[in-house]
Amino acid sequence: MKKEDLFEKLKRNTHVRCDMPDMNMVGIVYDDPLAQFCEMVVAVGGKVAVLGDGEDVNEAIKRLYPDAKVFASNLPEITIATLNPDTVAEAQDLNGTDVGILRGELGVAENACVWVPQTMKEKAVMFISEELVLLLDRNKLVHNMHEAYTKIAMNDYGYGCFISGPSKTADIEQALVMGAQAARGVTVVLT
Amino acid sequence: MSTLHSKKAAAALKNVDKITRHDQTFWLMRGKRDLMEHKLPEWESLREHASEIKRHTATHLAQYLEQFSKNLEDNGVIVHWAEDAREFNQTVLEILQQHGVKKLVKSKSMLTEECELNPYLEAQGIHVVETDLGERILQLLDEKPSHIVVPAIHVTREEVGELFEREGISKEIGNYDPTYLTQCARHSLRNDFMDADAGLTGCNFGVAETGDIVVCTNEGNADMSTSVPKLHIAVMGLEKIVPDYRSLAVFQRLLCRSATGQPSTTYTSHFRKARPGGEMHVVIVDNGRSDMIANDEHWQTLKCIRCGACMNTCPVYRRSTGYSYSYFIPGPIGINLGMFKSPQQHSGNLSACSLCLSCDNVCPTKVAPGSQVYAWRQSLSGLGLANSTKKLISNGMGMLFYNPSLFSMSLKFAPIVNHLPRFLVYHGLNDWGKGREMPVFASESFEQMWKKGKVK
Repeated sequence: MKKEDLFEKLKRNTHVRCDMPDMNMVGIVYDDPLAQFCEMVVAVGGKVAVLGDGEDVNEAIKRLYPDAKVFASNLPEITIATLNPDTVAEAQDLNGTDVGILRGELGVAENACVWVPQTMKEKAVMFISEELVLLLDRNKLVHNMHEAYTKIAMNDYGYGCFISGPSKTADIEQALVMGAQAARGVTVVLT
Repeated sequence: MSTLHSKKAAAALKNVDKITRHDQTFWLMRGKRDLMEHKLPEWESLREHASEIKRHTATHLAQYLEQFSKNLEDNGVIVHWAEDAREFNQTVLEILQQHGVKKLVKSKSMLTEECELNPYLEAQGIHVVETDLGERILQLLDEKPSHIVVPAIHVTREEVGELFEREGISKEIGNYDPTYLTQCARHSLRNDFMDADAGLTGCNFGVAETGDIVVCTNEGNADMSTSVPKLHIAVMGLEKIVPDYRSLAVFQRLLCRSATGQPSTTYTSHFRKARPGGEMHVVIVDNGRSDMIANDEHWQTLKCIRCGACMNTCPVYRRSTGYSYSYFIPGPIGINLGMFKSPQQHSGNLSACSLCLSCDNVCPTKVAPGSQVYAWRQSLSGLGLANSTKKLISNGMGMLFYNPSLFSMSLKFAPIVNHLPRFLVYHGLNDWGKGREMPVFASESFEQMWKKGKVK
């Protein structure tokens, strides 16, 4: 089908024209967005950890995942990384990652979404890891998705994802199970 | 007078345990949705905005599709247009063949069900693996979805366990624990992600202003499908378009809350470009949608975002299951979509509605599927599809109600029915007497009582 033919048909078949509504949406605003965000992270099956004063982020991650051996990250401050999603030859090489460590750019209080743009060659690290650590600046919180969508920006990789807790499914008799195809657990580390 | 739906529903109702669990499962989902609604003071404003944005977009489709496809192409994405299911299937096959694809991993897409893509590709030697757990279970069982969001809801854990044992996915014989079975599927599908040659996803929203393909999943399977293979094919019905991020925010907030009662899906993924070294294709499909917009009475069905809330709340769906409907999308929205597809084939589904209009009240984009069912029923006679018995009865009633002397005479003698033996009242010709008791006629009519001064 030629798109011109489709456009022509659509125009011919459309008998009314409706206007866009006024888009000054007022979304919910919380008294304490940080507390609301943390509550929602737990509600969607994730965990929240707060970096102590002067605590090294690597130490904190090791404390959270004492048994993990394979850490994947391209963040310069993550010195414990054993795999780098920028330098692996193929995405498949990231399979077997115990903990993937990513930087979240924005947290949304209403639903625990954390905006994670692709900043690495292989975005598989965001999904293939058994556990995810999302580092998030506690000052970068918004109340709701209306605010979030005015703030996020796409970089040259052209991919970004709102992640709200671990991968989950309830496809067998509506029994909720964490760890369907992607990360089994998510810890948001507030910095 | 029984329709195919009512016959199938009667059969489904014979398994009392199963249908009771089905009913309760969806009522629970409806309850979760309500909790989400009550947490947001702006809920009704969100619904109204969603409806108006969709009304606007559906009536400016050419403009937004042009903008959308231009942005896709500027981002290096290859855009294809398909008029119908045949062209769609051919287009996907051609892309796969050009890349020598043998194995395709796929996330959930109702469009591919609509076009029956999987059997088409498999006949051409492509190994297709569904990666949403529910869809995977159905693929292995060789069954169709019974719901658009939770497609395998009708399958029990024991049935899944036995299936996985047969397929060699589960090793512990007799272990039917959902957590265990989900982990077995995870291991099995992980291998498929690793060696697939291409990934195919649906699309919840196409953002015209940016060219983003937005996919919402809980499992992360759309992202796994597109992070390992180098080739990504996204497929979408042309009504999936939204103008911009501000509009997207409204739908993102409504979709999952309405669908499963979660505040968000786990992953809201935005695909704007191919991954490094890879290729991204988008196939935009018409398949009758450009005709829907021309239907002055029903075009707003195009506003649907496929959340499934209308099914979860529907008393008929909950007590008859998705398989009682003749169209592949069941429930209130499916009744409407089936009428667009083929009134001849699917008008029987119109009986699957009590006109309680609960669906109208939960629909996040105000499609008003129940009211639309009512409107479709009014058109049946014009389509030559009205039930002849019902037509006879309603013509008879018309004669009775428009003729006062006939009406009062009938009323005078009606109480005789109260004293007739049952076999004369409850028989094959009296559809009102099937499955229910007839009302008892009053010995005196209101008019008689009024005339005697008995009514104060």
